[in-house]
Amino acid sequence: MSTYGKVAFYPGCALDGLGKPYEVSLKLAAQDLGLEYEKIEDYNCCGALEVKNVNTMAGLLLPARNLSLARSMGANAIMSACPGCHYSLSRTQYFMTRYPKLSAKVNAYLEKMGEKPYDEQLLMIHAVEFFYNTVGPEGIKAKVKRPLTGLKVAPYYGCLYARPKAYTLTGYMRMKDDPERPFFMDELLKALGAEVVPFEAKTMCCGGPHVYSDAETSLHLEARILKEAKRNGAEILVTDCPLGHVAIESNMNKIASKYGEDLRMPLAYFTQLLAFAFGHGPDETLLTANLTNPMSVLKRYL
Amino acid sequence: MPIPELEKPIIKGLIQKDKVVIDGLELDGTWNAFMIERTQTGYDPSVWDEIANTVEGNTISLCWQCGTCTSGCTMREYDPKYSPRRFIDLARKGDKQSLMELQDSLWRCVSCQKCTHRCPKGVLVEEVVHAIHNYMLKHGLVKKDPGTVFDEIFLEAVMKNGGRISELVLGGASAKAGFVTLSIRDLIAMSGPLLRSGLIKDLMKPSKVKNWDRIKKVLEEAMNEEVTPE
Ligand code: SF4
Ligand code: SF4
Repeated sequence: MSTYGKVAFYPGCALDGLGKPYEVSLKLAAQDLGLEYEKIEDYNCCGALEVKNVNTMAGLLLPARNLSLARSMGANAIMSACPGCHYSLSRTQYFMTRYPKLSAKVNAYLEKMGEKPYDEQLLMIHAVEFFYNTVGPEGIKAKVKRPLTGLKVAPYYGCLYARPKAYTLTGYMRMKDDPERPFFMDELLKALGAEVVPFEAKTMCCGGPHVYSDAETSLHLEARILKEAKRNGAEILVTDCPLGHVAIESNMNKIASKYGEDLRMPLAYFTQLLAFAFGHGPDETLLTANLTNPMSVLKRYL
Repeated sequence: MPIPELEKPIIKGLIQKDKVVIDGLELDGTWNAFMIERTQTGYDPSVWDEIANTVEGNTISLCWQCGTCTSGCTMREYDPKYSPRRFIDLARKGDKQSLMELQDSLWRCVSCQKCTHRCPKGVLVEEVVHAIHNYMLKHGLVKKDPGTVFDEIFLEAVMKNGGRISELVLGGASAKAGFVTLSIRDLIAMSGPLLRSGLIKDLMKPSKVKNWDRIKKVLEEAMNEEVTPE
């Protein structure tokens, strides 16, 4: 794609785990749209939001190895579907470009690992930006076989899709979303025929790194996201973040029993809706593998 | 509308301390404010220097105490004692005692990045908050908190499982550490779709990075290296 040059895809652990439906549907949607990317096969964990707190060098080296692999593939940009990965990779790039001596150290260790030093030349992109800036809403509209007319969706972007601007570069260029009130995913969903409800919890936190260690706070944060979606009449929460998606889905029973059954709502990744609207079936898009059964609201489009 | 501050009794000039030592004498009770300067001992200017000399904490010096970080902070809503602005102020003053009193709050950052994103001075607030907390941990001034326990579990899982993790590996390790995880009802609700889609196989056995042993060795070596922001 000329927009980005050659794109390497960083799946990250989440997309090889409970986030599999995200990866599978991303691939289907991209294929239908003629978008190309090359997966980094031998990737390692990016360290997420945890490793950096334990050890500075480990927090930089884990992402740096992936950046180096992407450059070895000849990529100009690296796409993550998980905002957590997108953040970690961008953070490493930030620190490497700011501190030359630190960067030299990181590179020396990369070479010891048998990888090339990282030349800091990649553009970090998120899957939502990838679709928006290449084919865009118009390109998507042209492929829709199963319009999702009247489907009321609340797009949940999560914290790290756009924040912080110092790492993700949001707000500095047109190719990046509005960090306070993002809209790229809204436009993609509208192109499928869906109705995007007003939703002010788009970038609210789900408790992220503390879903286990501060569980009660996380439940409350997640309930608040669902409440805002419900309040505005959404039937389904559409996500671009496997961390938030998995946290909310696996906590749904607890949220419902603590904050009310009426908060129950199915979740789907935005790529699942893309692939579904392009004509792929519920099994193929793994919509049947989501814990909250999104087919309950999508079956009327079959 | 009531103004909360005005509803509180204002005891001007009085401070309360459980244990105060003045010139070697132990005193308890309520004292006049002229003692503040003398009772708050232990300001340690090296705190600021040490934090500013870490990669994460380097931007602490840029802060001009506007409070933008605290006003939008996710954790602030749940814990009124949680205030990145105040943590920075205390760390720069070197008021270790006050930071110690805040230990049940200090660790609770959920890394939502609103603060870093919005800081008008370019302070990487989320990083700085972690640097302050790490300083306290390193010097044994706070007890180990659940967040740090989880962070360590995470790193260990990455190292042990060939450079990758899965939700099951993490969930299992967290359960061992005594964190709340999934109930039987949740597990039953989850396993249906996972079994049907064949996802369960991937979850049980995350694939490994090639040459992980070599990479791991280098990582372990790198982790012993002290790095500074330059
Ligand atoms: S927003 Fe920035 S400058 Fe303002 S108090 Fe917070 S860290 Fe300091
Ligand atoms: S990253 Fe942490 S300190 Fe900053 S706003 Fe979020 S919870 Fe508060």
